[in-house]
Amino acid sequence: MMVHKDAIYKLNALQATTNACVTIIEDDVQTHDGVLSGIAIALKDNVVTQGILTTGGSRLLSNYIPPYDATIVKKMKAQGAVFVAKTSLDELGMGGTGTTGFNGVVRNPHDLTRQAGGSSSGSAVVVAAKAVEIAIGSDTGDSVRKPASFVGVVGTKPTYGRISRYGVIPYASSLDHVGYFTANVKQAALMCDVLSGHDPLDLTSLPLPSTTIHDTLNDNVSGKVFGVFKEVVEAVDDPQTLVNFQRLCDALVAKGATVKVVSMNEDYLRACLATYYIIANCEATTNHANLTGVNFGLTQHGEDIESVLTHTRSYGFEFSTRKRFVIGSYGLKDENQEKLFRKAQKVRRVIVNTFNSLLQTCDGVLAPATTSCAPLLEGDTVNMLSNAHLIAENYMVIANFAGLPSITVPSFLVKGLPHGVNLTCKAEDEATLFTMALAIESCVQEGV
Amino acid sequence: MSFRSSTYINMNKTMILELANELNFKLSEEELNTMVVEFETLHDLLGLLETIDTDGVEAMVYPFETPLVALREDEVTHELPQDAVLKNAYRVKDGYVLVPKVVK
Repeated sequence: MMVHKDAIYKLNALQATTNACVTIIEDDVQTHDGVLSGIAIALKDNVVTQGILTTGGSRLLSNYIPPYDATIVKKMKAQGAVFVAKTSLDELGMGGTGTTGFNGVVRNPHDLTRQAGGSSSGSAVVVAAKAVEIAIGSDTGDSVRKPASFVGVVGTKPTYGRISRYGVIPYASSLDHVGYFTANVKQAALMCDVLSGHDPLDLTSLPLPSTTIHDTLNDNVSGKVFGVFKEVVEAVDDPQTLVNFQRLCDALVAKGATVKVVSMNEDYLRACLATYYIIANCEATTNHANLTGVNFGLTQHGEDIESVLTHTRSYGFEFSTRKRFVIGSYGLKDENQEKLFRKAQKVRRVIVNTFNSLLQTCDGVLAPATTSCAPLLEGDTVNMLSNAHLIAENYMVIANFAGLPSITVPSFLVKGLPHGVNLTCKAEDEATLFTMALAIESCVQEGV
Repeated sequence: MSFRSSTYINMNKTMILELANELNFKLSEEELNTMVVEFETLHDLLGLLETIDTDGVEAMVYPFETPLVALREDEVTHELPQDAVLKNAYRVKDGYVLVPKVVK
């Protein structure tokens, strides 16, 4: 299998500089024929694989060999996939920098002094470096779509429930989506067709058949309306990003699309990050209460059961993860639950209703995915309460609040480095998402 | 510009340690000091929630309005082999996971 060997060779070379993988799988074999035959695929290491180490990026799970395959693994195998790597991630998907996994920092292949983004860091890197064509990730806030922008690949998150999460280690269940990285939009549509479909093993799986988008996909956006997200564009603080974005909008108009400005209350956008932070950490604290080292995991010795738990969880979790659990537990305390957790859930509904109203006035909402290119691993400072941070860097979480299909497509370079734009469409309307995304890709490739 | 909320409890080392204890892990003195400082910024961030009027708004726990039917017949439909599951346990005896004695 030349494709397999070629991928392994490239992954080993890439590992030395980027730390993109937890495990490189030397011995997987193709068992079926299908649309993925001959394509090497990498999996984020929170996707469980029977008989293959699956760590979730956590020291606590650094010896875990799952006894079963995730539903998406079975689906890809049935289409001829060969898996070549389990990729690095922020611990348990809880991070956006690629710096908190137990196996060390992940670096951007375009500039090793910069982040690859997270939490699906390694999956983004292996596609960007062309070691594999496709890599699976997961997206709770923007964990596929932001790294895609930073490394210059297509990052997709279909509608919530469109792809089964059975066998994907959770972070925050009401926000978690399976997503993936591809070299282009057509492959993204193909992967949606392969991965989607109802799964009775996932109780949040939508009762819908698989999509059939790839074979008829085209970039005809005549009559389509791109809604430019006003507050996000205004919050971008890199002039080059704004010049590039205007250039793209002009090209879309030249292609027959309509581009109009859409707007929502700035206070709602400024509250997105706090809403996400509380909901995600509260849900994570509860979800990961099962990581005790008793039934599985890197158990640490103790004289009694309490000591086993405390030693295992103290040794097993990075500080950044323990910190998030404390915040989640803080939000769930009796005296805070109504003021924080319930309040965040109510704000979520206000934001979702407002954003869905925007989507009634256009076919998709478009904006720069991030303010600029990938940040430096060290040295960049962030004003946590600025609109650039609260809005331009974090608005993509709205698609997780609302469960909407959302895609990041590479745009023109910023500071000589990759940068993407993000498009979000109505729930279950992946067909429109990929059509509009393909038009964006065409405009960028044509360089107009 | 600050949106500091007066309605949340202030976090000090004792309270953070109490939460960590409930969560079954430890924090070093250095980690504690870091958290106390970071909670200051966190309070400013969380204060932004209070700028949104949510009177009469129902909490959103799931992205869509259509409820999913999760109930099914109480029948075994999906099993994992016992020996494969137990392979990941630290200590096993007679087909069970073994833990230190709880009642001496």
